[in-house]
Amino acid sequence: MSKLFEYEKQREAASAAKVRALEALLIEKGVIGSDSVDTVLGHFETVAGPFNGARIVARAWVDAEYKARLLADTPKAIAELNLAQGMDGAEGEHMLAVANSPQVHNLIICTLCSCYPWPILGLPPYWYKDPVFRARGVREPRAVLREFGVPVSEDVEVAVWDSSAQIRWFVVPERPAGSDHLSEEQLAALVTPESMMGVALVHLPAA
Amino acid sequence: MKLQHYLGGLENLGPVNLETQVFVQPWEQRIFGIHTTMMAESAHLTGALPRYPIDQLPTAFKNDWTWASLRTGAEGMQPFEYFKFRYYEKWLMGISQFFIDQGYIDAEELSSRTEHYRKQPEAALPDLPNAPIREQIVRYLLEGDSGLRPLPAPPRFQSGEVIKVADPEAVDHTRLPGYLRSKPGIIVEVYDGAFAYFVNTGPDGIGEPMPVYRVAFAASDIWGEGKSEANTTIYADLFEAYLQPAA
Repeated sequence: MSKLFEYEKQREAASAAKVRALEALLIEKGVIGSDSVDTVLGHFETVAGPFNGARIVARAWVDAEYKARLLADTPKAIAELNLAQGMDGAEGEHMLAVANSPQVHNLIICTLCSCYPWPILGLPPYWYKDPVFRARGVREPRAVLREFGVPVSEDVEVAVWDSSAQIRWFVVPERPAGSDHLSEEQLAALVTPESMMGVALVHLPAA
Repeated sequence: MKLQHYLGGLENLGPVNLETQVFVQPWEQRIFGIHTTMMAESAHLTGALPRYPIDQLPTAFKNDWTWASLRTGAEGMQPFEYFKFRYYEKWLMGISQFFIDQGYIDAEELSSRTEHYRKQPEAALPDLPNAPIREQIVRYLLEGDSGLRPLPAPPRFQSGEVIKVADPEAVDHTRLPGYLRSKPGIIVEVYDGAFAYFVNTGPDGIGEPMPVYRVAFAASDIWGEGKSEANTTIYADLFEAYLQPAA
């Protein structure tokens, strides 16, 4: 049988040992430091992450003028908020927001790889990188959205944004009905990465 | 036709995967961190905006390493292999092979060290922190590597214009999604400035600074009437080299 049809029997243990060996050798040879990988990972826990996007969305929900500015000039509107430095840093140099409405539902995709707005959303979840989503999202986005639990009626336009050059797109989802009593901070807590890529709606917590 | 360039539109793949974790195995974090460190140390950053003084960084890494490096590797895989391995498995394969090919490590030592950690998964990593590299990683993540450059010439196309997507020779790496080749679209935005790409893709046409356009495509123009979902628009950002006049 061809090697193509063979997997390492303990696939994850083999990869874990190989990546550790690679990191050890790169440290010994002075290519990276022993604190390099943890520095990268720490950035995505404290500086860049979906907690930033959630704050942007919540502000857009409570302030219609802010939302208009966000859609007209996304980087400038993001800079208005008191977020961490670096919101126009790596993989966020050119970000643009699109808003869901009763007329249009937006879906963000990267069919060629996995482009994603790092500073405000962190790193892409597995579903976004999986070839099945990337293949089907442009061909049958409504069917894909149904699988994610987001049926979109035929009188609502579906807009699919394929991130193929410099722009990193994100979605301002619709504010959930009946959320008038919630503060901006409480609203931000409801916003998920999936809702900011268009594959989820934002729901009120079950009472 | 290279399959990875034509992923968009493939049918018969079954249901989408709904996994929301970023890393589905803990080891995946390590290869992501190695890759991002390499991007922060990439020699090309001396010419980036901002000008990072990489030539003064105390690292043995002397190559260019950008998204284009990783993408070129993934696009060059045999398609069967591409589907067989998970996202970060492909990164681990590609990045390990890069360090072997470039002579930073040899295959034998990687293999014997892997055996070592296989037998002792908890064995420690060497303890050699490097503060200047740490600072460069943070600076790179905060300041990025924008491709925005001054326009070398006025844009060839304008907003509202109908265009036809080019169909250049398939090379190792492209930023033109295959399903858009030869399709008609309408320009809805001409982005300000020009955008360079990390590498020159040769006959594919990108690399030097050029205008980028946001192009709207009716799904029915891409997949055909009756073969596409109703009321659906696909937007793509396309470098000028990928566009032709409609007629």
